[in-house]
Order: sequence, then C-alpha cells, then structure tokens
Amino acid sequence: MYRLLEPFQFPFMVDAMVVGVAVGAVCAVLSCYLVLKGWSLMGDAISHAVLPGIVIAYAAGVPLAIGAFASGLLCAVLTGYIKANSRIKEDTVMGVVFTGLFAFGLVLFTKVKSDLHLDHILFGNILGLESGDLRDTLAIAGLTLTVILVLRRDLLLFCFDPGHARTIGLRSGLLYYTLLSLLAVTIVVSLKAVGIILVIAMLVTPGCVGYLLTDRFNRMMGIAVVTAAGCSFVGVYLSFFINASTGACIVLLQALVFVNALVFAPKHGLLATRRRRRAPAAAASAATGIPS
Amino acid sequence: MIETLLTPFQYEYMLKAILVSGVIGGVCAFLSCFITLRGWSLMGDALSHSVVPGVAIAYYIGWPYAAGAFLTGLLAAVGMGFVKTKTRLREDAVIGVVFTAFFALGLLLISLFPSQVDLRSIVFGNILGISNSDIVQVLVISGVTLVVLGLKWRDLLLFCFDSNQARALGLNTTVLHLTLLTLLSATAVAALQTVGAVLVVAMLVTPGAIAYLLTDRFSRMIAIAVSLGVGTSLVGAYASYYFDGSTGGCIVTLQSLLFVVALVTAPKHGLIAARSRRRAAAGPEGARPAAEPPITR
Amino acid sequence: MTAPTSDFDPLTVDVTGLTVAYPNGNVALREASFALHAGSICALVGINGSGKSTLFKAMMGLLRPSAGGVTVSGKTIRQALKRNLIAYVPQSEEVDWSFPVSVWDVVLMGRYGYMNFMRIPRAVDRRIAEESLARVGMSEFRERQIGELSGGQRKRVFLARALAQQGRIILLDEPFTGVDVNTETAIVTLLRELRDEGDIMFVSTHNLGSVPEFCDHVVLINRTVLAAGPTTEVFTEENLLRTFGGVLRHFRFDESTVQKHDGRAVTVLTDDERPLVFGKGGHLEYSQRKGHEAVVSQRKEKEDEDDVPRK
Repeated sequence: MYRLLEPFQFPFMVDAMVVGVAVGAVCAVLSCYLVLKGWSLMGDAISHAVLPGIVIAYAAGVPLAIGAFASGLLCAVLTGYIKANSRIKEDTVMGVVFTGLFAFGLVLFTKVKSDLHLDHILFGNILGLESGDLRDTLAIAGLTLTVILVLRRDLLLFCFDPGHARTIGLRSGLLYYTLLSLLAVTIVVSLKAVGIILVIAMLVTPGCVGYLLTDRFNRMMGIAVVTAAGCSFVGVYLSFFINASTGACIVLLQALVFVNALVFAPKHGLLATRRRRRAPAAAASAATGIPS
Repeated sequence: MIETLLTPFQYEYMLKAILVSGVIGGVCAFLSCFITLRGWSLMGDALSHSVVPGVAIAYYIGWPYAAGAFLTGLLAAVGMGFVKTKTRLREDAVIGVVFTAFFALGLLLISLFPSQVDLRSIVFGNILGISNSDIVQVLVISGVTLVVLGLKWRDLLLFCFDSNQARALGLNTTVLHLTLLTLLSATAVAALQTVGAVLVVAMLVTPGAIAYLLTDRFSRMIAIAVSLGVGTSLVGAYASYYFDGSTGGCIVTLQSLLFVVALVTAPKHGLIAARSRRRAAAGPEGARPAAEPPITR
Repeated sequence: MTAPTSDFDPLTVDVTGLTVAYPNGNVALREASFALHAGSICALVGINGSGKSTLFKAMMGLLRPSAGGVTVSGKTIRQALKRNLIAYVPQSEEVDWSFPVSVWDVVLMGRYGYMNFMRIPRAVDRRIAEESLARVGMSEFRERQIGELSGGQRKRVFLARALAQQGRIILLDEPFTGVDVNTETAIVTLLRELRDEGDIMFVSTHNLGSVPEFCDHVVLINRTVLAAGPTTEVFTEENLLRTFGGVLRHFRFDESTVQKHDGRAVTVLTDDERPLVFGKGGHLEYSQRKGHEAVVSQRKEKEDEDDVPRK
C-alpha cells in the first residue's frame, strides 16, 4: 500500500501529474475539432516545424515558446499559401514544408551553441519540470481552454460548414487563423510534457476515441477530455514504477483506449458493425430454417 | 581554400557517407514520383516513424536492424489500412493514431532497455558512422527497389493515376497497392540511416514535388526527381562535414531550397508564370485570390 | 418570419461584369451580368465546370472578383451578409454526414448570426428554429444525428436552416440530387411560398425538366452568362443547345412515325436526369400544365411508390 502511494511523495511526480492532466485536457478538446476538420496531420506538421523557432529564439534571447509558436504558425501559413497557389496536393505540400523547417532547425541547432537538449524537445521531459514551468503551463493551458470554450460553437460550425459560417457573417478567415493559433499554442504548451513527436498523438487519439463512441459533439468532447486526462495521470504514475519514458506511457495508454473503443464501441465499433452485418443474415436463415 | 574544401574527401567515412547518401537519395526520389501522385506523402511520414519499435526489437534480439524496421513498418501500414476500412474515421486521423502509437512503443522499448539502441541515430540518422554490414543492407534494399520500380513502373503509374482503370485492365490492384507499400517501407528503412526517422518523409516527397512543378511528362518527372535526389544527397552529405554531422538536416534543407526555387520560377506551374497568366487573363487590374485562407475540409 | 430589412427594399441582386480568375490564372467566369428582383425563383443552368459554383461562391462573398461584382439592393455583399440576408443550402456531397451534430444543432446554426458572442440560443432563436423545422415537416427528427436521415430528409434539414436564418436570398446548390419525389414537391412548394413572400431563390440544377415547372427566371451559364431572363423567353431549345454544346442528348421526333399520328413536334433534351420535352408551342410541362394537374399528381404518386428512401 505504501509503495503504491510512493509517487505522490515526490513533488516532481505531483507536478508531472498536474501538468500531464492539464496538457492532456487541452489537447483533447482541440483534437475533437482537428479530427472533424481533417486536420489531424496539421498537428504533425506544426509540431515538427517549431524546432527552428526554438533554436532562433534561444539565440535571440527571446522566450522559447514565442519562437516555437511563430515558426509553427509560419509552417501552417506557408502550407496554406503554397497549396492555394500551386498544383501540388495538400499532403505533399505539408510534407515538404514541415520537413524543410525541421531540417533547417537541425542545421541551425548544430551551429548555435546552446544548452538546449534536443532529446527534451523531441520527447519531452515531464519529470524534469522547472519551478516556473508548472505555473506557465497551467496559465497557458487555462487561457487556451477558455478561448476554445467561448468559441466552441463558432469553431464547430467552421469545421462543419465553412460556407454557411461565411454567409451568416462569421469571419471564417479569423476562425481559420484562430484554430491554427490555438493548435500552435497547444503544441508549444505540450512540448515540455511529451515532446514534438508524441504531441501528435495527444492531438489526434482522444478525439478519435470520442468520435467512435458517440454521435454528439458535446459528449465527444467530454469523452476525449476524460480519456486524455485519465491516460496522462495513469501514464505518469505508471512510468514511475516501470522506469520508462513518461510520454511514451501516456501515448500508449491512449492507444490502448483507442483500440478498446475501436473494438467495443456500442454503435461504430468493430463488434457492433459485425453484429449488424450478421443480423440480417441470421434473420434470413431463421426464416428458411437453415442455420448459417 | 581548395584544400579546406577537399578535406572531407580525405576521410574514408566521408566518402562512404557521400556515396551511400547518393544511392539512397536516388532511390527515394524515384519512389517519390509515385508517392506524391498517389497522395501518400503522409503515409511516408507515418511509416518512417513506425519503424522505430522494429529497430529496437531487432537490436534486442540480434537481427539485422532492417528486418525489424521493415516488419513494424509494414505492420503499421496494414493496421492503418484495416482501421480505415473498418471505421468512419478519416484517413489522416487513422494515420495519426497508428504511427504515434508505434513510435511511442519504440520509445518505451528504448527507455526500458537503454543500452541496446542509440535513439538519436534512429531519429536523426547516422550516416557518418555507418558500418559495412549496414551499407550492404542499404545497397540490397536499394537494388531490389530499383529493379521492381524499373520493371513495374508503368503498372504503378496507372495504379497511382487511376486505380479503377488499372483494375478494369485486369491488373491486380491489391498486389500493386501492397507492392508500393512494401517499397515505401523498404526505402524508409534504408533512408533511416542517412537522414533519420523524422526527415525520411522529405526524401520521399520533396524531389517528386519539385519535378511535378517542372514538367508534365512522367518519364521526365522521374529523371528530374532522381537527378535532384542524387545531387542534393551528395552535396548535402558533403556539406554535413561542416555542420557537425547533421547529414539529414543538410540534405533536406538543400532540397527545400530547390523546392522554393522551383515553386517560384517553374516555367509553367510556378508562381511567376501563374501571375503573368492571371494578369493576361483578367486585364490590367490583375486578379487577386480571395482574402480568405483556403477552406480545407 | 422576415427580418427587418428596410434599407434593402426593394430587394434586388445585380451581377455586373463579374470576372473571377483563380490563382493559377484560369478564368472561371468572365464578365457575367444579370439581375434578379424580389419575388423570383431563378434557375442557374450549365454543365459541370461552367462556373456555377464559382458564381455561387462570388455571391456568398467567398471569392474576390478580379473585375465587376455583385451587389444586393445596391449594397455590397459584405453588408448583405452582415444582415444575414444570404442563406446557402449546400450540395449533399459537400456535407460530412457523419459529423456529430443533430438536426436541431444544424437548424440552430442558422441562428448564429443573431446570437451573442457565445452563440447561446435565446428563446426567440429556439422558437424560430422550431418553426422552421416544422415548416419542412422535420420536427419529429430533431434529435437525430444528421447521417441517420434519408437523402430527402437531409435536404429538408438544410432548408430549415436557411429558413431559420431568415435569409431573403437563398442559394440552393443542386437541391434535387439524391432526393425523393415527395421532398422535391415539398421543396418546390416551399420555394413558391417564399417567392410569394418576396424572397429571391437562386437554384443551380442539372434537372432541366423541372426548371420550367417552378422557375420564373433562368440564367444559362458557360464560363460567362449566355442568356438570362424570364423562363419563357430564355429557356429555349436553341439557347440550351448553346449552353450544353454536345453534352445534351437530343432526340427529335418530328420526322418519326409517332408524329404522323400525333401531329405535334416533340424534342427531348436530357443530360441523363429528368428529360426536358419541347412541343411545338414551347415546353410541354410549362405550356400544357393547366388542366393536367390530375395527371401530374397521379404520376407523382406512382413515382413515390417506386421510391425507396435512401439509407
């Protein structure tokens, strides 16, 4: 019993849990929009593209988060511009732009002497949070959540039917950039916890779980948040005992929940679909008296 | 001056790295023509991340790294295909869920057995420290890929362009689909050595995208892509001598720069050409795109 | 149910010299001009790629024209949008039907322009949404997820949204595709009612046969406006052949044996939907409808029986 409570005695563990849950919740809320909008891989692109921003911000003495945010947004804007102005497909454009920025970041990294840890940027370092990190993360996470919640109906309409959003006088351009900015901010906030590669999972998986389990948006969001927060908590807790990468634990737990939802979801799960497919056949065989 | 520039060639490891990079760059570029036309760019990204647990396991049980990487890459691809056909989730979401799960698994394995693998060399590649047996693996993969592509490129092209037509002609599209996926996994594994998991996708996308901007003929597209792929890889690997060994970063940065040049100046599909066409079409005022960003669904 | 729009009276839509070029330099629409006035239903007819959706987008303010423009009662599109004047009923293919929203959610979206910043519906919004839903006969489905409806029901929901928005210029993109005949009749009836209330309906359609039935104006388009005006004047065989080039199927029966017994020349134009039939005195549907209502409704009933709602 004592052993099970042990993680809670270490302040860094408690901090990690709080940050993990907060980051997980924000990512989950956003993931609902991304999954529905078809922007899942925009998260992928933006998160990789923050690297040069971080390095430049470090060299210029600006807070890293600002650099990361700027270069993440730059990636999204460039992608949109090139896609609108050339004949290349969107996925290709995304691939070209974010890898280009990431590579540029790597080259810069080798030229700027820094005490930045590339590993921490890539994979997060949630157990090594510094004193201000907890406060900063919670503040930004809270702000992001508030903005999303205030705008949640507008954003939903923007994802569902941008044409209609426009005709009723919503500024769809503004919503587009709002959603992108929220995404970039969320990624920046999550960097410390899970790093730029695994944040993609946090931005996609909870939304998918919610989408598999319900047909109502509010419920979808609720499910996503609960899933993500739960996985973050358990993930941090678990990683203490098995001495493994915390980010990986969180993401794998989410994946596990996803697999369960995939199989057992009451209406859209594999078992349910199979039952539905079988049902007419069974009825037919019952009618003719021939077992199927 | 000249002596400084020639320094990299004095080291055997640099020569090896430059040559192997060139080979991989060429093979990836060849494949990139199909990938970009098929709309599989992010599949390439996903597969290159998904090979990580395979590498970890292969090292752990003493297999060649390529075998393990290839297996998990293929497993991820099959998993994505399965989830996509069975659910109403969008393809991009499925790709996101599956590849991050695989990557996380790799990360977990490596953190559990730290001494076995160097995570850095997987994520960023380590062509400067490539061993002879790894070179053999890379060359074999490249050779097989080139042979398959050389023999079947017409079928694959038709499959990428219009898979229904391919089926109507009696081609086995399932086999073609799997062939392309297999080639993709295989080259991703090969390229892992040079540029690392994160940047593999650039090698598999950018040369094709550049060539697509420059020409409307597929055979010319392949020629352009391959020469760019080989060229940038050779130069990038050479330049990485001066950049603290970040070979992947150098190659991909170079490719991205060329992409920007092509995007702006391509004779028919470039920004400048489009602008002058637009001017000509719409009179002196010149059309401007809407203030709105593109609406993506 | 009409919003106060005094400064938009009388309601008109003027498209003048509208030219739209896309970023790659392709000109989608060149110097298109026509005008619509209050109380009209106008059909927009043209082949795929003729610029129909470009024209729609320009009228919704989604594209910036390279030359010319669209005005509503002499004011800009932006001003009209601010007043919620323009409503849009999308094509079925444009909608993600597995999106997790209910019928009620969608209809309420029509009221967003009137709600506060947080889009919290007031009592009046709920009342209008309910009325709109009732008007299209979908009240009992309000809690359904939109993907669970048939093709016709889906269309009705989006019409209800346009009603809830109280737009006075309603753009309908292919409203009859994938729709059962019942719904088609209901939509046409509703559009006629709205016309009588003084609204402007702009309907893009492939369904040539139904155009003379309910549209009093027609705009024929192929990269520019080929002809525009009252249906009786503009919707002629000659103009249609010009609009569609060789795409239309074209049967002439005036030389055939049928003619010998009947004495009427008949021409059938179709682009694989309901055919448009020309008699000697113009389109049969239009000129000879009077006195044939019984026949028409019988035919409809028969079609209804054959029609199985889409899953």
